[in-house]
Amino acid sequence: MRRWYVIGAPYIWLLLFFLVPFFIVFKISLSDIATAIPPYTPTLDLSGGWEAIKTFFSELDFENYSFIVNDPLYVDAYWSSVRIAAIATLITLLVAYPIAYGMARAPKDWQPTLMMLVILPFWTSFLIRVYAWMGILKKEGLLNLFLMNMGLISEPLTILNTNTAVYIGIVYSYLPFMILPLYSSLEKIKPSLLEAAEDLGSPPWKAFWQVTFPLSLPGIFAGCLLVFIPAVGEFVIPDLLGGSDTLMIGKTLWSEFFNNRDWPVSSAVAVVLLIVLILPIVLFQRMQQNQAEAGR
Amino acid sequence: MAGNASVAEAAAKPAAYTPASRTPAPQSNFAPWKDPAKNPIVRFENVTKRFGDFVAIKDCTLDIYEREFFALLGPSGCGKSTLLRMLAGFEKPTEGRIFVNGKDITDLAPYERTDVNMMFQSYALFPHMTVERNIGFGLRQDGMEKSAIEARVAEAMALLELGKFAQRKPHQLSGGQQQRVALARAIAKKPRIMLLDEPLGALDKRLRQQAQFELMRIQETTGTTFVIVTHDQEEAMTVASRIAVMNHGELAHIATPGEIYEFPGSRYVANFIGDVNIFEGKVSAIDGNDVTIDWPSGNDSFTAQGSAGLTIGQQVWLAMRPEKVRIFQTKPTEACNAIPGKVVDVGYLGSISHYHVKVASGQQVTALRANAAQTVEHNIKWDDDVWLEWPYDAGMILTK
Repeated sequence: MRRWYVIGAPYIWLLLFFLVPFFIVFKISLSDIATAIPPYTPTLDLSGGWEAIKTFFSELDFENYSFIVNDPLYVDAYWSSVRIAAIATLITLLVAYPIAYGMARAPKDWQPTLMMLVILPFWTSFLIRVYAWMGILKKEGLLNLFLMNMGLISEPLTILNTNTAVYIGIVYSYLPFMILPLYSSLEKIKPSLLEAAEDLGSPPWKAFWQVTFPLSLPGIFAGCLLVFIPAVGEFVIPDLLGGSDTLMIGKTLWSEFFNNRDWPVSSAVAVVLLIVLILPIVLFQRMQQNQAEAGR
Repeated sequence: MAGNASVAEAAAKPAAYTPASRTPAPQSNFAPWKDPAKNPIVRFENVTKRFGDFVAIKDCTLDIYEREFFALLGPSGCGKSTLLRMLAGFEKPTEGRIFVNGKDITDLAPYERTDVNMMFQSYALFPHMTVERNIGFGLRQDGMEKSAIEARVAEAMALLELGKFAQRKPHQLSGGQQQRVALARAIAKKPRIMLLDEPLGALDKRLRQQAQFELMRIQETTGTTFVIVTHDQEEAMTVASRIAVMNHGELAHIATPGEIYEFPGSRYVANFIGDVNIFEGKVSAIDGNDVTIDWPSGNDSFTAQGSAGLTIGQQVWLAMRPEKVRIFQTKPTEACNAIPGKVVDVGYLGSISHYHVKVASGQQVTALRANAAQTVEHNIKWDDDVWLEWPYDAGMILTK
């Protein structure tokens, strides 16, 4: 019996805090907008008996979904989110790989300290760090001041409120999520493998592509998914750093919800976002499982 | 004992026959190190290696000849692996030069040393490649044609009986199979010199003995020069044509297994290879090759052979292998070296028995006796008074 409590606990947690809220959101997405509290109809009234339940279900429909799919605004926002997240993920990978590689190759007694330094930014609020980037990137900000004083540019660059700033924000914020899985897979590669490759006639740069890179693929996949999945739905970064032409689904969702007060449509947007992300999430789960099995 | 490889070697090349000199255990006629006309395939010339303040290798000069099975033997930290890694190119000598086949390779990177390949202690198999891909790795680096690579890989797999594992990944293999893949991967490159860093260290004892003979077979069939690093003296004795015993970064002794066992040259080497009884004494008389040694702590004196380089009054150590010490219940007549003692321990091992005998100096001397007669009665027991005897030519006089 007691075993079931232990196994049951996480499932009850998931049920209460994931599945039930999800069904509430899903139900709202099937409803119609209404000027009422809550701002949608129908609402379930169990006192009306079986008939009331039947009318309740008959009033639910997929209208909002066909609206989203047919309105280019939403399709563009999804597409643009995925594209921005994908490009940002790639840049994060390119920045993180050398850092993780250097960490894995550093003397063993330095490694915990380096790891600390990577995690350190988490000790400050995420919001504050994004605000700090506004100070750095704005016209009269630190970056422009520095570049102008160095004589590299004569006119201040417009970075804030462009997609570039969004990329900088995402890369900066999610870098640790890329570095850590990369580091953990690079650190596992025994130095003797590279010596063996070199002994068998492979120069160091070739040995990197033949041995180090393929052996770090699990870390690359894990890191990319850990960055890509939250970046697609990112709201704070595009809202604070992005411009009016930065189209991301998180922003669309927010304005639908708070500006238009259209709960049913914004719920539908949220459900579609989840569907868009299901494929990478399942991929990620699969990979973690495979790794756990291979490690046995 | 030593070099089945070298026996076959000599059989294959009768022209290399050299008359046996007075070595007590001539295992074979393969002895290129005695032929001044032969050029070594590997030469370490005054090589010193320092790591910061630590001297890993101290002024080492060493020649290794083609088709040798050369063992670097010593305790951990003696520098044997460093010496091997310098030959592979992973470490650069601080001073001195290394030559392979007359060519100075000191400054070449490992991937430029095409004559040398190494088998690693941990095998270092690429975990993301199949056995077949692992073995072909080195050949692909050389830009060989695909069909040629396949043929070579098949050849190496056949040599090590790995055919049915071709498509497996390393983690799906047992330790013994991994060891064979590692060997096949290095041998597939057909190097002139094969380096083996504790190749059998991870195997259990039974498997290790099998693998030793396998190594010897491979060395014979491929005609490659093998340089092996090991801390296991039995392993070195079994496989090697010559052994270099190392101590604190120095070459303590280089000789064939037989020579090293019978004439170890120093107490360190004598102790490292096999069991030995050592008596400390002083030279009291020299008559031709015969030497009389006073043994003050036992109030006795011994006769032994080998007077070269000795002076009267010099401190020496007389070392004796247990199997050369005979044990008697009464004083043997006409014995040149006989000392009384008391049995403190008897170790019956079936085929042989060990007797630990306490002698006048207080030290324990070990004697070994083969149990030739089939009986469970053993007439020498604990606390028996016995005599130990050995012939004048059984002991070795050591000066250091």
